[in-house]
Amino acid sequence: MSTVPVTPRHARQPSASVHVATPASRVPSGSMVHASPHYQTTRRHSLYGTEDRVVIDPGSRIWKVGFSGEGRPRDVFLVDSLWGLSRAAEIADREEEDRLLEIYVRAQLRSVFHDILLTDPKSRKVILVEHPLLPVYVKDTFARVLFGNMQVPSISFAPSHLLSLLSVGRITGLVLDCGNLESTALPIFSARPLFPQLRTTPLAGARLTAHLRALLLLFGTYLPPPTSLSGSASIPAATRSTRVPQEVLTDAVIEDIKTRCCFVGDPLDASADMQILGTPSEDPMDLDLPPSERAPSESDFSRVSHDLDSTAASSGFSVVSRSQVGLARNESHLEALANMYKRHSTATDLQLKVTPPATQQTGTGLGTLVIPGWVRERGAEVLFEGGDIDETSVAETILDSLLKVPVDLRRTLACSILITGGTAMLPGFIQRLHSELLRAIASSASSAGRPPMRPDRPRPPAYDRYAVLRPLVPHLAVLNNPSPPPPTGTRGNAQTGKAPAFAPATMPWVGGSLAGSLKTGGVELSREKWDEAAEEERQSAREDASEDMQRRVIRNVLPDWTRMPLPSGAPPVTRAPAPVHIPETAAVGA
Amino acid sequence: MAPNVSYHCPCLSDSTVPPPPHHLSSSSSFHPLHELFFCEECDAIRCNTCVSVEVSGYYCPNCLFEVPSASVRAEKNRRVLPYLCARNCFLCPCCRNTLSVVPSDPPETDDGRTLPVSAVGEPPFFLYCNYCRWDSAEVDITFEKPTGLAGTCTAQLQKFEDSAPDSLEFERLKEHFEPFLLRAGATSSLNPTTSAHSHHHVNPVTAAASSALARDIPGVAKYTPAQSTSGRRSKGARDEMPEYKARVDASSSKGAGLGGEPDVEFMRRLETVSEVASLEQRWSSSWAVSLRLSDIKPLRMPLHSRKSKRCPSCRHILIKPEQKAQSVRYKIKLVAANYIPAITVSMPAVAERRATLNGQATASAAEASLIQAGRSYPFHLALTNPLYDPVQVRLQVQRQLPAGAPRGADDEGTEKARRPPFAVTLPNTAFPIAAFAEAWEYEDDEDMLDDDEFGPERGAREKDARKNKTVGVLERRANVTIVGGEVLIGKDARGELKFNMLVSYTYRSDDPLAEDDVKATPSRRNVPEMKTFSFCTIVSLGTIVPREESRSVNVDL
Ligand SMILES: [Zn+2]
Ligand SMILES: [Zn+2]
Ligand SMILES: [Zn+2]
Ligand SMILES: [Zn+2]
Repeated sequence: MSTVPVTPRHARQPSASVHVATPASRVPSGSMVHASPHYQTTRRHSLYGTEDRVVIDPGSRIWKVGFSGEGRPRDVFLVDSLWGLSRAAEIADREEEDRLLEIYVRAQLRSVFHDILLTDPKSRKVILVEHPLLPVYVKDTFARVLFGNMQVPSISFAPSHLLSLLSVGRITGLVLDCGNLESTALPIFSARPLFPQLRTTPLAGARLTAHLRALLLLFGTYLPPPTSLSGSASIPAATRSTRVPQEVLTDAVIEDIKTRCCFVGDPLDASADMQILGTPSEDPMDLDLPPSERAPSESDFSRVSHDLDSTAASSGFSVVSRSQVGLARNESHLEALANMYKRHSTATDLQLKVTPPATQQTGTGLGTLVIPGWVRERGAEVLFEGGDIDETSVAETILDSLLKVPVDLRRTLACSILITGGTAMLPGFIQRLHSELLRAIASSASSAGRPPMRPDRPRPPAYDRYAVLRPLVPHLAVLNNPSPPPPTGTRGNAQTGKAPAFAPATMPWVGGSLAGSLKTGGVELSREKWDEAAEEERQSAREDASEDMQRRVIRNVLPDWTRMPLPSGAPPVTRAPAPVHIPETAAVGA
Repeated sequence: MAPNVSYHCPCLSDSTVPPPPHHLSSSSSFHPLHELFFCEECDAIRCNTCVSVEVSGYYCPNCLFEVPSASVRAEKNRRVLPYLCARNCFLCPCCRNTLSVVPSDPPETDDGRTLPVSAVGEPPFFLYCNYCRWDSAEVDITFEKPTGLAGTCTAQLQKFEDSAPDSLEFERLKEHFEPFLLRAGATSSLNPTTSAHSHHHVNPVTAAASSALARDIPGVAKYTPAQSTSGRRSKGARDEMPEYKARVDASSSKGAGLGGEPDVEFMRRLETVSEVASLEQRWSSSWAVSLRLSDIKPLRMPLHSRKSKRCPSCRHILIKPEQKAQSVRYKIKLVAANYIPAITVSMPAVAERRATLNGQATASAAEASLIQAGRSYPFHLALTNPLYDPVQVRLQVQRQLPAGAPRGADDEGTEKARRPPFAVTLPNTAFPIAAFAEAWEYEDDEDMLDDDEFGPERGAREKDARKNKTVGVLERRANVTIVGGEVLIGKDARGELKFNMLVSYTYRSDDPLAEDDVKATPSRRNVPEMKTFSFCTIVSLGTIVPREESRSVNVDL
């Protein structure tokens, strides 16, 4: 048989059209793109000069895309949850996970270029906004799709926290990104992220979503649509009301509630409640709601009943005023909690029309979900609850990072705190976080006698955790606090609220756009370099045919702060992507 | 779902073996034949997820107005709203449906008398959403005339856009950074990221960082190279960036639109959810944006692009549309259906039963029970040859393991789990499909059957067919051959009944009738060459009904 490539001849197509096709010369894939005549053509016809780069901020849930040089993204859209905090254990499952991720990322990126930005990827350099904890395999997938499938000329990976700082005209600051999966605090000095000082907590958007769902299941009210037969319009709503069926609380409904109904109230005046509860040293807001990942521990129960007893004794504990029975044992502490939150909320109850569950097709039309005002106002308390060493509050995460930075940088960073991320868009969030920062520094001394969280864990050493930060309080400034507290008179503090009024969620994108138009922005990886690495990888895979090598190898050319020495001869960082944030008491303040 | 066949595109992947059919990733690796392209140069199938796409023009999907690239370019300097229709096309800010221009209601007076109305209706005109009833009068956008809104509404919006606070702030930020970056660029010899071919692409921010770090930075100093000198550290370390003064800062107007006190109060007192604009309506703004639904503006219609598609490997054009918005025709179109056989699948037993069920009003339960576990079903594959040459086809079932079978474990349970839940039998010899020809050539189908093109194979085929009436060639007419296969479903099987099938077809690449080829490759004129092309497909037959359920359904019937 001949090896000459011959093609089956098509039949139905008029042959003329086929021969209009391109000249027969093959352009070698990879490095030759710049030389190809086609490249010149697209360059001439493109809408902008091709020097405008494509800026993509790909979150795990929300993507923002547009062109550099513009003040806002062209489009912002929700994606399916693309990656989480954990991966499949089995190799075969993980391979399938990788395949699915690649398929999804490829579909999204193709749509970004072809349907949203309407531009030719081969002539557009890309700035990819990179969150510091973006898993390397996800980054590898982006690079593989952008270079392999889309053939973009280069990708710059730009740290999201640094880009956010650019969007407020700075290159130094302590940036907290409160996103979906994590809240991440990262100090940056003179455009250089201090990755070893990065601190993170899972208290972020996804946790808030889960928490809201739990609160609504327990404390929301559901009114089924009135049945047309019995003329039930005359039946009072109170008797129609039921617990909220789980099916009603779809992801979309919860998301809608989170973004349109919720806000963050002022700090709870906890001292009054603590007197009532009789547990002055303990934060009574620790929630452990079903369905949460962590099973309630014995100590949670004992604490709950303790709370409940004292509350019932002193304040005439009243059951939530709904015809609801059979609260499980662990729900009773939630009742106490609900009562406390209720006392601290003046928000109105809201009604939301929802699709009834398929199993309850008795009535016609939509059902009604009643969202208690205190859930709207106090749902986000979960993000401000501290004291857990595995899940520090958002404020503690900032302060822990600040504790880690070199002493002489602390004041500079304390007066340039920037809050970004989708969750920071909640009305009231930033000013509340500001108060929590001040409160945490002020109260770390009084909480020295904090009882252990769990009986099986050692009692935390009695130390004044944030003592060394206390002198910084007058200088503390949250740059984008929209409603700053009264000024303290220091130069640093005067910066509070002085950042430009960009939305916290869009700051990384705006910074990316700025970096692109200033012809800067992160380590640029060219397609030539990527292709070379891919070729090497293929070679080594051929030589070593073992099964492990057949698997996708993460390419060494990808810039990755977790395994690359930082520029300027900084020390190599350990590979662990998420630094453990156990308070290192000895080192602090030394 | 009706039985169907989809085709695999390897998408330049190193491995040409498609994922097993039970994997989630399988479905996006297979495509209907009509969506696929064929690159003659590479002799390969291409699909919409691997072709490279180029924009060859823009048009408005609403008014079909062509946007010449010149006028788009003219907008470059202004940087305002390109990609948007500059005529009368607007989208509803609430539901993104197209807005129509409507006149005001005829002015009514309290005594019910209506004033005479002009032909086009009464001004002021406004934009109205027929779907959700939003209208632009709510946000104070109205017009005196129903046409030429480009001169009015667009101008209003344009003015709004030109003075958009985010654009102005953005320009100010650029002015703030530029001189700093120029200075930093001058000292860029320190830049550690400078690479061989990018000496003028130094990253100024990094350069700035490194020049700043070259000074003594307390705590970081020990990491920096020898340039370190003693520093000033009285007020803590500072960078060299001058302070930026925002044009509009976050706390101006008390933080309204950024979650400040006014927003919190608005939320606290909220009476109905619908007063709040949804996230979709607000979030593409990068700036402080009102939470209130009553503040949103109509959106200009985004343009669509006309796309050409090229082979990702050799750059040959696969499809190229005509340059007119109204046209759906293509100048070039290399679709795979012209190169590789079309395959349809049917299950006669199931189809018959479906037909009898159609008379009765039995619902989906009966429909679903058509394929039952523990039985065997014949199925038919009809292959249509698009080529002017006859072809020989060979079919093979791809070996597969069920999902989730853990490796290494070999106790009985997993052994069982590893066994495929069903077995597929296909004709194991090659069979012919006659050439495509114009319709008049098929007056006598018998002639086609007697055509001894593939003589040596024929005896074997007929023996095969005699042996088993279910499996083998069942029918040949014109350029279609129908072969039978059989699937035996295990007792405990459930889920989707689908399998990967490798199709290979051999054709004579040299044909005296093919003048184009003769011209292209005269040397092969008299050498008959056989060429084989293979591709993968997935055959979906339907959903298996587990035994218990099917039994109960049988009783009902
Ligand atoms: Zn493909
Ligand atoms: Zn239009
Ligand atoms: Zn509408
Ligand atoms: Zn090709």
